[in-house]
Amino acid sequence: MKENLPTAVPHSERTPLGTMPTIPRTKEGARARLVTIFGSLSPTREKRVHYIFDIGNPDYREIVLPADGPLGSITPEVPAAVWYERELHDQYGIEIVGHPDLRPLLFHDNWPDGVYPMMDPVDDVPWSKREYRFLQVQGEGIAEVAVGPVHAGVIEPGHFRFSVVGDTVLHLELRHFYTHKGTEKLFEGRQFVNGAMLAESVSGDNCFAHAVCYSQAVENACEINAPPRAAAIRLVALELERLVCHISDVGGLCTDVGFGVPAAYAARLKESLLRESAQCCGTRYWRGIAVPGGLRLDLDSGKVAQLAQVVARAHREFSEVARLILETPSIQNRFETAGILSQEAARDLAAVGPVARASGIDLDARRDHPYGRYRQHQIEVPVTHYGDVMARAKIRIAEAAISAQLIQEAAGSLPDGSVFTPLAAPGDIQGFSAVESPRGELCYWMEARGGRLTRCHIKSPSFQNWPVMPVAVAGNIIADFPLINKSFNLSYSGCDR
Amino acid sequence: MIGDVIGQSLRQPDRLIPVETLLGNCDGSRMPEIVADRLTPAIAQRLVEVCPTAALGMEEREGQSCLRLSYGECIGCGKCIEFGEGAAVTAKQFTRCGVPKEQTVRRWDIEGRTEITLSAPSPEAARMQIHSLLQRALNIRQLDSGSCNGCEAEITALTNPYYDLERFGIHFVASPKHADMLLVTGPVTRNMAEAVKAAYEAVPAPKLVVAVGACGCSGGIFAGSHAIVGAVDAVIPVDGYIPGCPPTPAMFVTGILEVLQRRIAK
Repeated sequence: MKENLPTAVPHSERTPLGTMPTIPRTKEGARARLVTIFGSLSPTREKRVHYIFDIGNPDYREIVLPADGPLGSITPEVPAAVWYERELHDQYGIEIVGHPDLRPLLFHDNWPDGVYPMMDPVDDVPWSKREYRFLQVQGEGIAEVAVGPVHAGVIEPGHFRFSVVGDTVLHLELRHFYTHKGTEKLFEGRQFVNGAMLAESVSGDNCFAHAVCYSQAVENACEINAPPRAAAIRLVALELERLVCHISDVGGLCTDVGFGVPAAYAARLKESLLRESAQCCGTRYWRGIAVPGGLRLDLDSGKVAQLAQVVARAHREFSEVARLILETPSIQNRFETAGILSQEAARDLAAVGPVARASGIDLDARRDHPYGRYRQHQIEVPVTHYGDVMARAKIRIAEAAISAQLIQEAAGSLPDGSVFTPLAAPGDIQGFSAVESPRGELCYWMEARGGRLTRCHIKSPSFQNWPVMPVAVAGNIIADFPLINKSFNLSYSGCDR
Repeated sequence: MIGDVIGQSLRQPDRLIPVETLLGNCDGSRMPEIVADRLTPAIAQRLVEVCPTAALGMEEREGQSCLRLSYGECIGCGKCIEFGEGAAVTAKQFTRCGVPKEQTVRRWDIEGRTEITLSAPSPEAARMQIHSLLQRALNIRQLDSGSCNGCEAEITALTNPYYDLERFGIHFVASPKHADMLLVTGPVTRNMAEAVKAAYEAVPAPKLVVAVGACGCSGGIFAGSHAIVGAVDAVIPVDGYIPGCPPTPAMFVTGILEVLQRRIAK
């Protein structure tokens, strides 16, 4: 029941920089992959920092350090920690010693220095004007190109600062968090059901994965399981979300190389799935369905079976058109060798999801840390090592096929019974859950007292993968940037929260 | 090969939905509708309690206590439908898209079990205007002021073969300088406030602004956060509101055409 919960082992060492966690090792002896770092407050309002590592199937390990004094930065040893430690500094004012870049991350020029939203009252934060310095790349013939936050197209806001020589990108610096909404703080004081609604609004196109992950964290904390029928329906909808996302991404890649016909084709397939979802559950993106304890409403088995038929048809058409797309020479010309992400960089920055799997990292929470109904399915995980746009496209196409297959299996054998287990009114509880969302490993960690949330941390795959993307862009021509960016398909809001 | 892709595509049936079917359609949004006959003071109180945003509330009007439903704040979570004992149901039609803010709010006299005002535009009136609308082009610049990307996903759907907004002469453009209308999604975050104002300034007059979704209309589930400034109208003037979380493509079509129609009627 609690197998997905991290075990709290206080491993730390004192260094000249401050207290630091000892990076755990996997069974094979390799350095464990960093999953997330976040802060919290103890009941007596002492600052704590939680480090979660993946030490291999099936366990995660949590290390909790007191953080009222300075902490040593682990970024020099674990580059993947770079944004997490900046976020800790912004949210809690924790001093991180030895971090290479502690510029503000969450808040821009308008936020006053010394106000830490997870610690301080934030009812009326004054507007301020502080300076933010971009990295300067210097040398003969180097030009800067600033893009955003408002981009051309129906897309979220973010800022990209390219340093280019001619067409070639030497360096790309991101400045995000334009859509930062203080979501983690908003969880505080909420009841469990209302927390699910907030989780759904973290990243709207992956709202079901967020709702399920949050719900599982609460369920783990309360030591209950969602009933089998609810777990099976969750699996269907999680895989449907992945299928919709991957179909949409392949269409988006075609749009970005000016290949409009298959893009419209993919948009049509996606729409057929969304419309059938509305028929099946009442909402197009499965909002308002998953809650801690199971599902808000039971679905008609006949409608789920009909959804599975629509999925089968849509996937048949998608796989056919995807094959034709990949056989098109002009597509091969644009996709191959564009935006190569090396396995080493992906590993150092702890990339997750299709991005990691396209760069040779064999990683999937459904198989490695199985949850819910996934414990009863064999999950095939496609991996390739080229790391270019073509590799990421192929991974998505392969995963779409597996998702369609899983939907058939699960929808064909829906268990009977209730879809909701009431949660016992608990005292002080903590829970953790990981879900493989369409963009990769998504984690929620929550803490509650007396049935109300006191802290909820969201590790979104986009927060992890955004710092990876510039590594893949360097050395490419700037005209390929939209294509490379699309092939990563990262959520701005999921990252910014 | 390109020829194969195009051939495959041409063999597909036409999916275009007629505009008459789209106007007022809200399938998949879970917008609630109050059944006045079923209202009692106890049920009304229950509806207000279960609402996770402030969409449902009680008001005193001329000594009467009434139930207020503000669609701009509704995230379509369905809790009022779940707990309302039949007094709240899923709306079959929803035409309060693209309307001024006051029309996004409805009120019911609880004792009298009647709706206090009925000022929603009828779909018939909107339909009559379509022909005149279709003769005009409209350039829209979508602007994300901090959305969760749910609204973006549905706006992207507007150009798919089911809705095909281009058939009305409506295009999405890359720059605010090319736009007649700003379609603004999300609560305005602190970090985006300056960019939203700059984008608004860049739109040539007359500037049409439509606030989209529960967040754009009211701040939605993010209302009260330290990291947001507020709804879109806290930062720039707004001409029409499209509620929903997210609004469905049909609600966008209804709303955009409604705003256009009101502009032409002026």
